[in-house]
Amino acid sequence: MESENNNEMSRTAPMLEAVNLTKRYDDGVLALDNLNLRVFQGRTYAMLGANGAGKTTTINLFLNFIDPTEGEARVAGIASHRDPLLIREKVSYVSENVMLYMNFSAVQNLDFFARLAGKSKGCGRDECREVLRRVGLEDDCHDRKLRTFSKGMRQKCGIAIAVIKGAPAILLDEPTSGLDPKAAFEFMNLLDSLRAEGRAILMSTHDIFRAREIADDIGIMKEGRLVMQRSREELEGENLEKIYLDYMSGLS
Amino acid sequence: MIGIIVKKELYETLGSKKFHISFAVCSVLILLAFYAGIRNHQSNVERYEAAKADNLRKLEGLKEWHEVENYRIFLPPRPLESLVGGVSNDIGRTIVIQRGNELEAEGSRFGDDPVFAVFGFLDLEFIFQIVLTLFAILFAYDSVNGEKERGTLRLTFSNPIPKSSYILGKWTGSFVAVCLPLMIPLLIGCLMPPVLGVVLSGGEWLRLGFVILSGLLLFGAFLAMSITVSVFTKRSSSSFLVLLVIWIFAILIIPRTAVVLAARAVETPSVDELAAKKSSFARQLIMEDREKVDGYRGSGNRDMEVMMQEFQEFMNGIQEERRKKTDEYNARLNEERRNRQIVQEKTAFGLARISPSATFALAAASLARTSLDQKERFLGEAGRYQEAYGRFMLDKTGIASGLRVIRISDGDREDGEVKASIDPGEIPVFDFHEVSTAECVKGSIPDMGLLLVFNLAFFALAYFRFLRYDVR
Repeated sequence: MESENNNEMSRTAPMLEAVNLTKRYDDGVLALDNLNLRVFQGRTYAMLGANGAGKTTTINLFLNFIDPTEGEARVAGIASHRDPLLIREKVSYVSENVMLYMNFSAVQNLDFFARLAGKSKGCGRDECREVLRRVGLEDDCHDRKLRTFSKGMRQKCGIAIAVIKGAPAILLDEPTSGLDPKAAFEFMNLLDSLRAEGRAILMSTHDIFRAREIADDIGIMKEGRLVMQRSREELEGENLEKIYLDYMSGLS
Repeated sequence: MIGIIVKKELYETLGSKKFHISFAVCSVLILLAFYAGIRNHQSNVERYEAAKADNLRKLEGLKEWHEVENYRIFLPPRPLESLVGGVSNDIGRTIVIQRGNELEAEGSRFGDDPVFAVFGFLDLEFIFQIVLTLFAILFAYDSVNGEKERGTLRLTFSNPIPKSSYILGKWTGSFVAVCLPLMIPLLIGCLMPPVLGVVLSGGEWLRLGFVILSGLLLFGAFLAMSITVSVFTKRSSSSFLVLLVIWIFAILIIPRTAVVLAARAVETPSVDELAAKKSSFARQLIMEDREKVDGYRGSGNRDMEVMMQEFQEFMNGIQEERRKKTDEYNARLNEERRNRQIVQEKTAFGLARISPSATFALAAASLARTSLDQKERFLGEAGRYQEAYGRFMLDKTGIASGLRVIRISDGDREDGEVKASIDPGEIPVFDFHEVSTAECVKGSIPDMGLLLVFNLAFFALAYFRFLRYDVR
């Protein structure tokens, strides 16, 4: 009975939650203003917005790279600034430009970050290879130094690190920026499969079409505020690009 | 968690081209330093033996002990001197011994072969002080800000890793990654002396071990300093520039400035000034003695032998009195100068110790017995020997020192027998007593301790700053 309640809780409680989240930097700039959003398990949330809208700040707050001025960024119900190490066990992070250790091979990078994530014995060679295959990296590049990888390959490696960590939440900061269409398509497919596994995904992006394609919920941010938030269902039949441009130009 | 970072640093460093090139350069330099040092020592031993033999050869055939002139003693060469030069190449290695003369060490390596003074020798001191400190900077100048620039710091800290573990792992990993491989050429270098026929005593091995340990502490200090600067600066290019300036100050400017400042703070009369004073005093005494000689009246005995005997005794008395006065005066001047020098040296070394490299140089020189103390010790030992030599010569000649009344003969005795040559083997042997190994190590402990403090202080700075570091 208790187990059923827990399962119910995990289905209903958000994995990632911003509650009145506000960040004002020391120089007085208000980067984030009273943000409220929720990302549930098995769902993808895409934050759209121009540069400086507060998307990366939101991700930094969830990772507790910075402390909030007000409000909380919660991961599995825990405020990130209260127990940063614990919340970092529960989130994986993929940046815009995945920069790994260039003198390491893909397998070595995976092993190192798996150990950092808390796997005391790292990932076994077979496990590493399996994950690398899953993210679309062929066998012949598993032992190649990262310095020989293209940006797309590095992004795949980055997502492989997120996969191998096995965290229930994934934060992605402009993950498809600079990727060619094929690589971006593959990347999105991969995210889709992770969502299907039950991970909660929060993604910042400029790419309206990819967001529309993959996200269950879409939020538009402008000058630190979440100005629009709708689910995929609510956006059915609407022109997201027009909505976005209207918000950006101040028409909405 | 620290272990993971250490392992990563090890792999990352050992796999980099930067490491391969610097390791190759350093290995070659270390091996060259050992090889050149040993060959240099062997050549010094040959010179030493040749000079000693020549010193005795000059006495061959002499019939009278009073004919012995310019008898020399020599500072024996030691293997560690060639590996850690210190001031050993500037110290005079021989002293002319005569009763009553002022001791002066002459015949330094740089004095005899000035070409070596131009660029100095390649020794372990040079490698640790110049090469390894530069490598420490090269390996750690971007250890934190470089990771931030490359974006790996963000990814790393998106994992549950405490900042304290990260920075500790960084320092340990960088230190082990460079030092451990360098142990290979150092150990091979240590094998060279026995292979090339130079036997090191247990004490010498121990002192060499401490020299290497001091070098590693110096490397650690520069590594910690580089990490600190890397934490305090945003860009790796800035940290490199800052570290280069610090390096120039630590290696080149601080030690030299310390000496100049100490010289200004504590004025010490020059050797020439001292010599002028001594000479003036000696002239004054000679004038006084001349008056005494002018007023000399013998006992009136007309026997030539008796007259000569009386005059010799009179002269001996004058000489002895003058020698005593001169010795006292010179000793007072020398002591005053030496006391000022000691204060000056202490001031200079104290100021220079702001620099870890100067601290290392002092520790290494103390361990290798190539510090300034060695010169004082040589002069001190020579002084003691001079007394023994003086007693021996007085016993043999009956003449105190200086002027002698010599009766010139054809070398044959009046009874017709040919006089036998003197036996140089009778001259007391100069045995240079070295500072014991325990004293050497004890003397270097404050400097080694200071190097450890540099390590801890720089690391503490990096550590506490990194706890508040913005990893974005």
